[in-house]
Amino acid sequence: MIATRLPQLIDGLRAVVGTDGVLSAHSDLVVYECDGFVIEKNCPDVAVFPRTTAHVQAIVRLCNQYDVPFLPRGAGTSLAGGCLPVGGGVMIVLTRMKEIIEINHRDRYAVVQPGVVNVWLTNALKGSGYHYAPDPSSQGACTIGGNVATNSGGPHTLKYGVTVNHVLGVEAVMADGSLITFGGPTEDPKGLDLTGVIVGSEGTLGIVTKVWVRLTRDPQGWRTLLGIFESVGDATNAISAIVAAGIIPAALEMMDQGILVAVEQAFHFGFPLDAQAILLIEVDGLEAGLDLQRDRIIELCMQNKAREVRQARDAKERLLLWKCRKQAFGAVGRLSPSYCTQDGVVPRTKLPHILDRISSIGSKYGVRIVNVAHAGDGNIHPILLFDERDKEQTARVLLASGEILDECIACGGSVTGEHGIGVEKIEFMHKLFTADDLEAMRRLRTAFNPDGRLSPAKMLPTAGACGLEQKHPARRAAM
Amino acid sequence: MLTSTATENLPLTETFKPADQAELADVVRRAHASRTPIYPLGGGTSLGFGLVPKSPGWGLSLARLNRIVDYPARDMTITVEAGITMSALAEVLASEGQRLPIDAPHALQATLGGVVATNTSGPRRYGCGTVRDYVIGISAVDGRGMPFKGGGRVVKNVAGYDFCKLLTGSLGTLAVITQVTLKLKPVAEAEAFVACDVPSWDRAEALLAALVNSQTTPAAIELLGGAAWADDAALGPAAPRSIARLAVGLEGTRPEVDWMVEQLTHEWQALDVTKPHVIAVKEQVDGLWQRLTEFPASAFPTSASPLVLKASVLPSKVGEFCRRVLEIDPGSSIQSHAGNGIVLVRLAEFTPADSRRVLISGLQPAAAACGGTAIVLSCANGAEMTRQSIWGGAGADTAMMRSVKQQFDPLDLLNPGRFVYASL
Repeated sequence: MIATRLPQLIDGLRAVVGTDGVLSAHSDLVVYECDGFVIEKNCPDVAVFPRTTAHVQAIVRLCNQYDVPFLPRGAGTSLAGGCLPVGGGVMIVLTRMKEIIEINHRDRYAVVQPGVVNVWLTNALKGSGYHYAPDPSSQGACTIGGNVATNSGGPHTLKYGVTVNHVLGVEAVMADGSLITFGGPTEDPKGLDLTGVIVGSEGTLGIVTKVWVRLTRDPQGWRTLLGIFESVGDATNAISAIVAAGIIPAALEMMDQGILVAVEQAFHFGFPLDAQAILLIEVDGLEAGLDLQRDRIIELCMQNKAREVRQARDAKERLLLWKCRKQAFGAVGRLSPSYCTQDGVVPRTKLPHILDRISSIGSKYGVRIVNVAHAGDGNIHPILLFDERDKEQTARVLLASGEILDECIACGGSVTGEHGIGVEKIEFMHKLFTADDLEAMRRLRTAFNPDGRLSPAKMLPTAGACGLEQKHPARRAAM
Repeated sequence: MLTSTATENLPLTETFKPADQAELADVVRRAHASRTPIYPLGGGTSLGFGLVPKSPGWGLSLARLNRIVDYPARDMTITVEAGITMSALAEVLASEGQRLPIDAPHALQATLGGVVATNTSGPRRYGCGTVRDYVIGISAVDGRGMPFKGGGRVVKNVAGYDFCKLLTGSLGTLAVITQVTLKLKPVAEAEAFVACDVPSWDRAEALLAALVNSQTTPAAIELLGGAAWADDAALGPAAPRSIARLAVGLEGTRPEVDWMVEQLTHEWQALDVTKPHVIAVKEQVDGLWQRLTEFPASAFPTSASPLVLKASVLPSKVGEFCRRVLEIDPGSSIQSHAGNGIVLVRLAEFTPADSRRVLISGLQPAAAACGGTAIVLSCANGAEMTRQSIWGGAGADTAMMRSVKQQFDPLDLLNPGRFVYASL
């Protein structure tokens, strides 16, 4: 049992980071019992707050010495239980490592500690002509270390790519406490691209203590359009037509009528409440090309039966539109006491099909579903509305969720575009991957994390349980 | 052109040409059972990359795995087998107005699998990125003969570990890549270059630094030096006393390219560049892209250069690195993807023994002084080279790479002895 070794371990941790860097009282630890995935909860035995890389190394070595599991945590905004301390142990909270170490404008990179909040870097770069491209909707709270762990996306990934496309290198404390730098400010480091492997590994391969990120030139201009459609089918056909026409918008987002009503109540933008779907389409780049792209997009929307296409009049209206989109989830509280967001991906041409299926699945289970989507990427976020106090309703929501994700797989897609597998979607891994694929993933984890003390019970089903039904209706869902 | 000499520096006892992944996995399983090394073969255009292998083994040709598995053009993705040549792939994509913007030399022979395994890139990497930005799904067979895959067929996907990244640039040492899913880009409607002559390396850095703040969005920023570029068909003869040429590649819609050509010309005039040279005639533009793509490999298959080096330094140190290279070998030719800090050098002189010395005591320290590293892309007399001279020795991360290798190819049968890790 961990409990017997705990007092000594806590003394050791205090010696490393000081008394104010260790929490071990249950009342303090409940904050760390889950991330944005609130169905399954478990308190860590200790939460520890390193301020330096050397602290992280010493903490990891102590955990190994006392044979206690450990895992990293950023701001806890992840949505799939990536920082749920399964089996307890030591939670290494990186929010005190929050320094922007260097911004090198000439060589187009920045170096940050993992606890730097995404938007802090955005703010630090304002006016420099450069920005850090990944902009998850939670960017005001989420940390760059967490973005690296989950390979975060955001609305602008359609043109600019996800986190891994912008990470040049990482310094990481390995599972044994050793420190290794992978990559760095120069491109094409020799040997294997282990930076690319660590990004998105959900904290199972190492604890990232420093990140080199690529900076991206600010676009010269934007055109932000609002396409209003009488049916979801028309809207998704328009998306397909835009992508097929070879236009790569910076962002191409969809909201259906259900979510639109809530967003309108919250932000009073003036959305037409009788429209069945809206598209938020942004093209950016050189002014010289923007009007042409805008006109072509309007034409394609109108060909696909848009009621109208409006253009944001000025920067203020553009920002309001984006606020409506990025805070859409917050507005869902107006619709129901609880909600469950899914993160499926389908080929973009399958969007009409999957949204149609989501609607039927909702009817079949008697669950109301509203939709937000990073539609240009085929990444859907159906939001299932329910009341978690009603166990029978909750069970139906979980069945409907599972059926939606199964349908994504059947379309040739994936069960997660940007939120991660965590603990929430482990049961889907054997549907996406063969036993051999999962064996190869296990081997990769073994190379980095041979004793399995780092972030146990995440991402991969345990060998024996592979293929077994693991549904725990009262426990597994993203809320 | 590709001749039978291309595989001569591999110690092959036999070559297999499996028809599909199942047959390929079977060959690897037999090799595993008999502890026979396996040398994966694509188009044979990069066999000089890495150390020269010494253990006799089987060639494993991907030539028959060259099918297009699925091309949903409206999704802008394609799934193909790894043995497809880059030119065949480009042709299929062009029929839908799409492309994979990775510049690979010898596209008629080079295969996609080889390009992924060697992480080949060219001038467009500044504007378009590299292989790792395009591979969204991958299938491969590991050193035990076990087939596995990672990623999928959708453009956004974070389910499971990213084998696409793991295998890109792994030089076939972890697994034999059999199938790849790519995300694609539309072809550019218009292209042009704006170029100028550069009188000094300090001046080169001043112009490169200014490009960081340019209003234009270049697809390529190429700094070119030495005999190979002195009288280029598109760039024309170099000005007297110029030490290098700077060529900026522009892509986009016609109005965008027209605007950028004008804008960059203005920006350079404001910096006292005397004669910005615009290259806009299609044949000239295509020809220049072609030469910029082929430069590192133009000696293939019979090397005219004793050694081709690839350095990766800080972009701000590119000029400084070029200066140091020309001090070491005034006869060398240089192409730098300067926006990315990549510098390719074709050395002119040196015997094999001198090459080793100049790499270890000259070029590698020069790269280190510029914040980076240098490796050898190809070498006329590779048999006499060492791990230190080809790969610059082991880094702090090499031990972790070796642990990964151990997991995927425990008997060290896949391309043994060629890559950064010493033998297991």
